[in-house]
Amino acid sequence: MKKSCIAMLLAGGQGSRLYALTSNVAKPNIPFGGKYRIIDFPLSNCANSGIDTVGVLTQYKPLRLNSYIGSGMPWDLDSNEGGVYVLPPYMGAGEKGSWFKGTANAIYQNMEFIEMYDPDHVLILSGDHVYKMDYADMLREHIEKDAACTIAVLQVSMEEATRFGIMNVGKDGYINEFEEKPEQPKSDLASMGIYIFNWKKLKKYLIEDENTPGSSNDFGKNIIPNMLNAGEKLWPYRFQGYWRDVGTIISLWDANMDMLSPKLIDLYNENWPIRGRSPIRPPQWIGPNAAVEHSIITEGCEVEGKVSNSVLSNSVVVGAGAEVNYSILMPGAEIGPGAVVEYAIIGENAKIQAGAHVGSEPDGSEDWGVATVGPGVSIAPGAAVAAGAMIYESVEG
Amino acid sequence: MTTDLHGIISAYRTSPDLGVLVHGRTVSALTFAGRYRLVDFALSSMRLAGVRNVGVIMQKEYQSLLDHIGSGKAWDFSRKDGGMTLLPPFSLDAARSGVYTGLLEALLAVESYVQRIQEQYVTIMPGNLAANIDLRAVLKEHIDSGAGITAVCAKGVPNGEHHRYITDETGDVLEMHYRRIGEREGLADLETYIVNKNVLLEMIDHAASHMRYRLHADGIAGYLDRGGKMHTYVHEGYAMQINTVQDYMEANMHMLRRDARMSLFPLDRPVLTKDRADVSTYYAETSKVRNSLISDGCYIEGIVENCVIAPGVHIGKGAMLSGCIIMRDTHIGENVRLKNVISDKFAQIKPGEVLVGSDSVPLVIPRGYTA
Repeated sequence: MKKSCIAMLLAGGQGSRLYALTSNVAKPNIPFGGKYRIIDFPLSNCANSGIDTVGVLTQYKPLRLNSYIGSGMPWDLDSNEGGVYVLPPYMGAGEKGSWFKGTANAIYQNMEFIEMYDPDHVLILSGDHVYKMDYADMLREHIEKDAACTIAVLQVSMEEATRFGIMNVGKDGYINEFEEKPEQPKSDLASMGIYIFNWKKLKKYLIEDENTPGSSNDFGKNIIPNMLNAGEKLWPYRFQGYWRDVGTIISLWDANMDMLSPKLIDLYNENWPIRGRSPIRPPQWIGPNAAVEHSIITEGCEVEGKVSNSVLSNSVVVGAGAEVNYSILMPGAEIGPGAVVEYAIIGENAKIQAGAHVGSEPDGSEDWGVATVGPGVSIAPGAAVAAGAMIYESVEG
Repeated sequence: MTTDLHGIISAYRTSPDLGVLVHGRTVSALTFAGRYRLVDFALSSMRLAGVRNVGVIMQKEYQSLLDHIGSGKAWDFSRKDGGMTLLPPFSLDAARSGVYTGLLEALLAVESYVQRIQEQYVTIMPGNLAANIDLRAVLKEHIDSGAGITAVCAKGVPNGEHHRYITDETGDVLEMHYRRIGEREGLADLETYIVNKNVLLEMIDHAASHMRYRLHADGIAGYLDRGGKMHTYVHEGYAMQINTVQDYMEANMHMLRRDARMSLFPLDRPVLTKDRADVSTYYAETSKVRNSLISDGCYIEGIVENCVIAPGVHIGKGAMLSGCIIMRDTHIGENVRLKNVISDKFAQIKPGEVLVGSDSVPLVIPRGYTA
């Protein structure tokens, strides 16, 4: 079936900089902002933008992501015309199958899937960004500018520019140079890792790149520079609004804290709903002696202690006399009576038992960091977990 | 695992004592415990028992119910073959001008459906019962007892009128007492039954030929007179039938107690409902919430205590709510004071408004009210 534009979502990253949090799930499947998983943002954006066919490329820890995505029903992507398809690496007849070598190779290996839809354009998305974006508007500009590739860019400060892939733009407005993490940035337009390609052109470059020995098979390192060198038209699509890469513990924590300022990214706006799959649990119960302040709480939670400046996913229990401050509690986390959790991320179904103490407030020292307790990990009664600690296994008393 | 049990939900009933809460909807479509509708309990109990086919009897003002249950997908009743069947009256004649005078008239109106039921047993549940009933256990007792009808009963004293059964030590019915109020001997009927299909058809036929349609006084009494055997099953968990505004207030407030909540919503027997996919609830710095049940999708800037709040409710700064039930997408302006209020969906309460009901008579704000 012919489609104007389909999306390919790169969701295979291990997310190794999230350490214990990705010990059992892929990064796009990390809970975020109470109700969501990170992948809900690009999937909802697709649905809201009218892109009804999405290929999700998985590789690392795919099982839970597969069952999370399911038929795509939570995002209204389960239509007769389109759908969301999970695409693991596979072996073709007479070939030797292999893991995805790089972002471009992941798309290369799934060219057959893309060709089934004979699309004019292909949207490449990443599974670790939090933002609301109308891809239809980006596509409109891409077509209008007759670009081979349109890259979504975000204006950043010149200091930040040294951490991003930076697009330098000529007088005609088209991109004339791409620099990965430049020491002396010439522009403040950072690539968001969101691309729309003319499919015929992309296909050509993917095949060329695949046949180039020593290539990293990466969009940023290979495909984009190759297109620029060949004189293709690359257009920067200037995105305005909230966008965060949540690939590290501190950025994940920060972005969750941003959700406590609802004006930053308006999730309560019904015109651009972000949807996810969540269990049907009773409404959250705030007990008679509980105190909740400046927080986000989700269905199935039971709060009897004090919660402030925190983000609670579904089915979290905060016991009597417990204190939770500046923390992120993922689904099913349990904070025992009298326990203290501050500046911490508590993984799914982790148990912080009575009187334990996890994390501490910033003391200005270099060693300080957000404490992280991995999914399913139990911290014994009265035990202490230091600031910045990364706990993979249960701590006995 | 499927069972040889067919489900019928009598969702047509309305109750005048619920006042404006049932204007334009039946009791079954009424919001309960924030995110649920009363019909969710019957649908979920049936789903948990492995029931595959369910008929939902409706008569009038069923738009709200249709809106909620849709194809039955939320309860896994959207099936290629069978699943959920919506049963509005099959003909103008069957629609009758008034409300069905009894369950047997409602069943008669959809008789051809009942005749086509393949399963040997039929469970009938009302749309106004807040209870998580283990129908698998009821069916086992029903089969073991050899009875043609088993009534699910409560030991306690339900609000309002109800039928009671005097039983022998095995739970078989010796005598039926109609419309009792308060503490009495025997077991209280929760209007939830398992009936052998042939017994059900016989009762419908009898009702049609005598034009007497009440389930108890006509159907069950006739069945017992003809020497039929009836059994009772005692449901130990939470159960409350919602017939009046007071029942509604009371049952919602019960959900603030952990024991009642856990009995109705145990982790291993989930009550399912249509998912609105709301965002998490935001509690602003100015909010203060105590002893309340709050659904997702709310935005709370005010003070809330002893309340049950449905999804999508906005509570403005300085607003104070106490002892209230707020239905979905209600917007409560700044500095509003609400005490003992039931606010139906989509109401807009303008800033500074003060609305107070009494402990025994809550003030009901109708759907879509703006002031």
